[in-house]
Amino acid sequence: MNRRLDRTTCEETFRRLDDYVDRQLSPDEMRLIEAHLQECAACSREFVFEASVIREVRRKLRRLDAPSALLDRISEQISRAAQDGEEPGPGS
Amino acid sequence: VAEVAFGLASCLRPADPLSLIQVALVEAQRSQRTPGEDLRVWFFRALVRAYRDTAPARDGDPRLDDTPDLYLYARSAAAGVSMDGPDPAAGLLERLEPERVVAALARLAEEYRLVCSCYFLGNLSYAEMAVVLEYPVGTVRARLHRGRRMLQKALWQVSGEDGLTPPPPREATP
Repeated sequence: MNRRLDRTTCEETFRRLDDYVDRQLSPDEMRLIEAHLQECAACSREFVFEASVIREVRRKLRRLDAPSALLDRISEQISRAAQDGEEPGPGS
Repeated sequence: VAEVAFGLASCLRPADPLSLIQVALVEAQRSQRTPGEDLRVWFFRALVRAYRDTAPARDGDPRLDDTPDLYLYARSAAAGVSMDGPDPAAGLLERLEPERVVAALARLAEEYRLVCSCYFLGNLSYAEMAVVLEYPVGTVRARLHRGRRMLQKALWQVSGEDGLTPPPPREATP
């Protein structure tokens, strides 16, 4: 993944699309892919679509509702479990 | 954390997310939280362990195994689904109910469903997902990329079944 890209082609961009979407590339690689996307309309359309699928799926799944009273209860239980399960720090 | 935990439990056990959360709370109390450990990472790891301990491993839909890259993009373009604007996938996905997205996720084999559920709900980095799922980071990355491709095909199947897209072509059975 760290191989230097001398020339960013559609194929190179395509292979890195997932990592680019997740911002997992090095800053140099991100810049090269961005430069290619600005020049290449076809790759840019694909990237915009892939990013949009991820956004839409996230949006849908975050609408899985639970009653707020239930969420408050779960939140309280998680906080209690976190306190009970906390490992003593080095100074304690 | 509670809201995301409920969403994650709903993806992993749609029929009874609360019971999974109850088992996760017991597991969370058992597994010590190291000082400074992110509360989400600690609790989601307990949730995933609780799920693995209580659910038999299940296979996914084998028709998803060979899903090519850009599946939804190609299908949407071929079917004439609107792909305009800054959110081009909205034309296909906006009419799907959240429960149907959960149904699409449920078609993925276990290892892909777990990674995708954490990714879409948890807003976690690859490294955090590796801690939650107890996989190496490289495994998280590979399964996430493949799982996202498979999910695209599952979403297309579900959309077709709901009459939101042309039905998928019948695939030859071996």
